[in-house]
Amino acid sequence: MRYKGKAAQVLVSLPDNVSVDELTREFLIESQESLDRMERCLTKLEERPDDRELLAEIFRAVHTIKGTTGFLGFSRLESVAHAGENLLGLLRDGKLLANADIVSGLLVLLDMLREILGSIESTGHEGQGDDVSMIRRLHALQHSVSEGDGEVESRRLSGEDAISPKGEPENSIPKKKKARKPRVKAGAAIAPLKDAEIVKPQQEAKAIEVYQAEPQTAHVRTVVNAAESTLRVDVDLLNRMMNLVGELVLTRNQILQMVSTDASLAMLSRRLDMVTADLRETVMKARMQPVSHVFSKFPRMVRDLAQQLNKRVRLVMEGQETELDKSLLEAIKDPLTHSVRNAIDHGIEVPHVREAAGKDPEGMLRLRAYQEGSHVVIEVSDDGGGMKVERIRDKALERKLITRERSAQLSDRELMQLIFLPGFSTAEAITNVSGRGVGMDVVRTNVEKIGGKVEIDSRAGKGTTLRLRIPLTLAIVPALIVHSRGQSFALPQGALSELVHLSPKQVEAQVEWMEGAALYRLRGKLLPLVFMGSLLKQQENTTEPRDAYIAVLNAEGRRYGLVVDSLADPEEIVVKPLSSVLKQIGLFSGATVLGNGEMALILDPGAIATQSNIGMALEDDEVEVVDTSEKNGSAEYLLMQSANEHAAVPLESVLRIERIPRAQMEWLSGVPVLRFEGTLLPLKDRTGQDASQDGEMTVVVCRDGERHVGVAVAQVLDVAFGKQLNEAGTDAVTHDVILLKNRVTSIVDLRHIPGLPGARLRQGELTETWEANGLIEVPA
Amino acid sequence: MPQLALQTTAQDEGIEMCSVVIGQTLYGVPVMRILEILGKPSKQPVPLAPGYIGGLVHYRGEVLTAVSLRRLLNMPAHDAIEDILVFEGADGYFGLLVDEVGEVMTVLPADFEGNPSTLDDRRKSLFAGTYKLSNALLVMLDPERLDPVCLAETAPA
Repeated sequence: MRYKGKAAQVLVSLPDNVSVDELTREFLIESQESLDRMERCLTKLEERPDDRELLAEIFRAVHTIKGTTGFLGFSRLESVAHAGENLLGLLRDGKLLANADIVSGLLVLLDMLREILGSIESTGHEGQGDDVSMIRRLHALQHSVSEGDGEVESRRLSGEDAISPKGEPENSIPKKKKARKPRVKAGAAIAPLKDAEIVKPQQEAKAIEVYQAEPQTAHVRTVVNAAESTLRVDVDLLNRMMNLVGELVLTRNQILQMVSTDASLAMLSRRLDMVTADLRETVMKARMQPVSHVFSKFPRMVRDLAQQLNKRVRLVMEGQETELDKSLLEAIKDPLTHSVRNAIDHGIEVPHVREAAGKDPEGMLRLRAYQEGSHVVIEVSDDGGGMKVERIRDKALERKLITRERSAQLSDRELMQLIFLPGFSTAEAITNVSGRGVGMDVVRTNVEKIGGKVEIDSRAGKGTTLRLRIPLTLAIVPALIVHSRGQSFALPQGALSELVHLSPKQVEAQVEWMEGAALYRLRGKLLPLVFMGSLLKQQENTTEPRDAYIAVLNAEGRRYGLVVDSLADPEEIVVKPLSSVLKQIGLFSGATVLGNGEMALILDPGAIATQSNIGMALEDDEVEVVDTSEKNGSAEYLLMQSANEHAAVPLESVLRIERIPRAQMEWLSGVPVLRFEGTLLPLKDRTGQDASQDGEMTVVVCRDGERHVGVAVAQVLDVAFGKQLNEAGTDAVTHDVILLKNRVTSIVDLRHIPGLPGARLRQGELTETWEANGLIEVPA
Repeated sequence: MPQLALQTTAQDEGIEMCSVVIGQTLYGVPVMRILEILGKPSKQPVPLAPGYIGGLVHYRGEVLTAVSLRRLLNMPAHDAIEDILVFEGADGYFGLLVDEVGEVMTVLPADFEGNPSTLDDRRKSLFAGTYKLSNALLVMLDPERLDPVCLAETAPA
């Protein structure tokens, strides 16, 4: 489905009482689209000046505008477009070869056309402008090159013969024509009486531009189809649909809970369930747009900036088809523009500096979008000068953003994150483009506002990569439901880094107090605690000691633990805005209706941190972990209690940990296996207990290459860094043994867990069938 | 109340009022202003909210802020589940928690009188006046004055 924010109307067949305004508006929207396309093509044209398809497309954009303006009575637009069309005609016919001057001229033309369209949109008139010099410039361009560059011209002409004597290849035309046609269709549908008027200017145009004439008839049919299959839809309407679908989901949930007794009703409700899920997905999809909508404006911007700064930049864009919710796309437009500007202004060096450093004088800027789980990652990377950590530190000290003592404690990576602090800018001089001290902090704030994250990676001399991590949709947020004093709250998972459970005894012993501030030692570091019950001044209904859960949160660089009474399931929640009175409380970012119909307020981790005076904590445990592992070549391991020794598996291969009754373990040709939701998991039993014994075991599900395997142990102990041991008397590093927490620990070799023989699940029991390769569960 | 009178074309025509009960008193709300009546929905308290906020209520996919007239009038809270009238306010929909919704009755503009001077200021600011019924008084509520946006300025938290 195609829709645009600006287009608040739907194309429908209306009787003849539609005013000209409707037509004009339609024309404006389409012209904007044509110009956007023209801009994209123009920037590509510089790289491939003899690409006929590009030229044809640009020509068509200008031609359509000119053709339509005639009968709408916009004379200024018509005369300017006409001048452009003449120049483009020569280019398209190969009589001219596009050079930088011509492209610049056409870009200026594009800007002028945009300006006039903008003026029509806001005032209804074309406004005033220096058309004469524009037209003169375009005329001059027509002659300057055609006289001077005969060689190019003749080459162009001979090439043309090889392709097709009549111009564009036929098959490329229909799809390019798409966008132009809805106007014709709309015009025809809206006012049959005006048909003649609409067609006439085009016939005139045909008479003038003979080269355009032939393919014209062929287009009409295909394009009408395109117009029929797309529809402009008001975004508000989509929002409303989204709301109603949410409502439907809740009603469905309630029905599902009620009907468990009646069999036929259960069937019906299951169908309702399926339809609702599909509907929800479809409506969400309708809100998605490819990131190319935002990316498309960068080629022009990069080109202009590079020229302005005397730099040479090649823009590479990847993953343009990646889709993102429309509102999010709007929200990342500014941060992304800012990042691209930064990369060109501060990142990429001028050509002679690059050459001196042994690099290609042309710098590269890469925009890359890809989906990763429930996030879309957008990377802006350059191969420029990168950032020197020392410079960042000096700057931060100079701007008094950090104390000298503090700066000495920070790792390089932590220092790098300082550029996100407000008021930080390392540009030597304030340039026209950037360096006003508002910069990366704005990028960060904007991205975090929509639940995203920003990371930066930079190597001096090599370049910088900025990574924006954006949730797929704004409307639906994964959240953990927590309880405080019997009330449910939703905690967005974006800010959540880990959960710690404390028994009543541990609460007593391990929560430490310092002048009224509660602290918890998380892996040796003090974590400030915020008690949800007292933060919200909720009434205590029991004085009994109880369990506590610490949700370790990382909000905009501030790290703290939010203490709640209990946890419920994670849920995908639909965010509903709060009324202004409740927004003023400042701790809740919205409300939501949970699957069980209950309502829950959505906590705002950043606001809670602010209200509890949690300061900027730059020491991020996780970051440090990464650093240490890089430095020492050691990795983290999950420490487990096996029979009477310790065992370990590399943490990176652990997928999840489950408590399972021992009785669920089954045997297949002497190999213990577990069934998990219809899949079969080979198991290594390291519990050291008799298989027939009752009770529970802990299964650590690990990844071994492509397959998943389980390690059954008595319990999981901790996570620790491993230190490699050398065999006594030699320098050889021991295999499968590592020093963890000062104890020799064996590493479970996941590769040696035997694979599964062919097997078939029959009637709930495992039965071996050697001829079958796959594993199929046969319903009992 | 001029704007209430405006809702009928002629002065002698009756105005349709929905009667609601809070405590011992009978209140009236113009039927035309009520979008919907929700019968005893479940509501979620909002910690740290101003006192007159009775909680959040789920209404047609939206989250509705409900105003508690009981709390506004400093009346003791009670455990009974309340009905909710839904209005459209300056900042979207809002709800009004009442003990119970009564019936729709027609009152005559002629029976209208302003607030008595003996009423305390708080109540004077909330009530629009009263209609004299044959056997009781119907205290007139103006939804505009009960809008949380408006209360945020006038009512003490």
